[in-house]
Amino acid sequence: MDTLHTIKELAATQFGGEPDAIDENASVDKLGIDSLGFLEFLFELEDKFGFSIPQEAVANVRTLGELATAIDGLITANAATPT
Amino acid sequence: MTGLGVVSPVGQSVCELFANLLNARSAVRPVVDSVCPGARSLVAAQVDFNASAHWPAHQAAQYDRATQFALVAVRQAIVDASLELTEEESYRAGAYWGTGLGGATSIEESYRQLYAGNGRVRPTAVVLGMNNAAAGHISIANGLRGPVLNVSTACSSSAASIGEAYRAIKAGYADVIVAGGSEALVTNGNLRAWDAMQALAHADSADPARSCRPFAADRTGIVLGEGAGALVLESHERATRRGARIYAELVGYGNAADAAGISKPDASGQARAMRAALGEAALSPDSIGYLNAHGTATPVGDVVETNAIKQAFGAHARELPVSSTKALHGHLMGATGAVELLAAITAMERRVIPPTAHLTLPDPACDLDYVPNQPREAMLDAVMSNSFGFGGMNAVLVARRYRP
Repeated sequence: MDTLHTIKELAATQFGGEPDAIDENASVDKLGIDSLGFLEFLFELEDKFGFSIPQEAVANVRTLGELATAIDGLITANAATPT
Repeated sequence: MTGLGVVSPVGQSVCELFANLLNARSAVRPVVDSVCPGARSLVAAQVDFNASAHWPAHQAAQYDRATQFALVAVRQAIVDASLELTEEESYRAGAYWGTGLGGATSIEESYRQLYAGNGRVRPTAVVLGMNNAAAGHISIANGLRGPVLNVSTACSSSAASIGEAYRAIKAGYADVIVAGGSEALVTNGNLRAWDAMQALAHADSADPARSCRPFAADRTGIVLGEGAGALVLESHERATRRGARIYAELVGYGNAADAAGISKPDASGQARAMRAALGEAALSPDSIGYLNAHGTATPVGDVVETNAIKQAFGAHARELPVSSTKALHGHLMGATGAVELLAAITAMERRVIPPTAHLTLPDPACDLDYVPNQPREAMLDAVMSNSFGFGGMNAVLVARRYRP
């Protein structure tokens, strides 16, 4: 599962536009996403990936590319945690 | 009043609405089981609304259904008024908007998820559900930077919002105010809550569309509806200076409370509101050519209003054509005052009074002229619209044909 691709698809659904046209290196507010919109986006991602995204994991995220990296980190951490 | 806009169960334009009112075309239908499972058969008047015709999906998702109705009705009214505002003018242009429950659908969905779903609450829950969401979005979407007020007085919300807007313009606080109201509360929870009050009409087994029967001997209660009504109100100076088309002039607003019961209406409070509106308008009772009643079709309410009309109008009450259009569009709650005033103004413009539909069995206790079943042509110089809310909050508006 390509995390970045999933993020772009969801961003297109939530904010409009085409997934492939979304620049993963542009800052989130340059993409026209305000703070409440970003929170809502994280909420949808949590539903999509099936795990909670803690605030500290995304505290320094500025771009969707960085968000994908952060989520990949969580996926790895979750996989490593014994259930 | 220079612009009108409406989203209602009987039409999503003023023309469509009024044609259906004249033809007594009811939008009352059985509530589908998926909306309200398990309750006894209920009816409601809903809007066949296609949000995707107005916004892309991601934008529509930012608006509760009631806000969607509001935005569409307001856009219609603004276009109808050919309203254009410079930045300077926008500081003197506001929005006064009425609603009973605000983002009811969103609120209910939030609680459903929290208590009966996955226990999660979305970040936009507050801004979707809050009572003033529509007012906020109206201001944002239309660049209205003047005074903005959200008015919530139950069934009289939008009549009060229009009345207060009228006062604000008269007092010089604004030159333009988009006024009206919206409501979209036909949800499982609200249907059950109203049903628990035993206030809802019994579904007519032969013809559900006829379930709402204001002033009739066989009336059984309210039919919930949804929608929005919007009016552009402008100062006389501004409207005439820019050569706006003027539908009518608002000349009286009576707001008076029953101070009696939280749900049971009181004739003397309603009469005081009607008299106050007439007094402000400096019109005698016989100047009113048509009264659009609150007429919710409850056994008690219709009698109380009948008595209130007699108190307010005296001898002229017997001559006064009164009708309740709720028979066809249902009780639009926070939006009902606006939509009904709009219907009354259109009646004055088109010179024809919409009937009280489904009135085949008269009630001796309701013995006024309710224009039963058939529309009636009439030269109207002034009209009145009644809206009476739970808590005894009565708001009455009087509009007069504009004389340059």
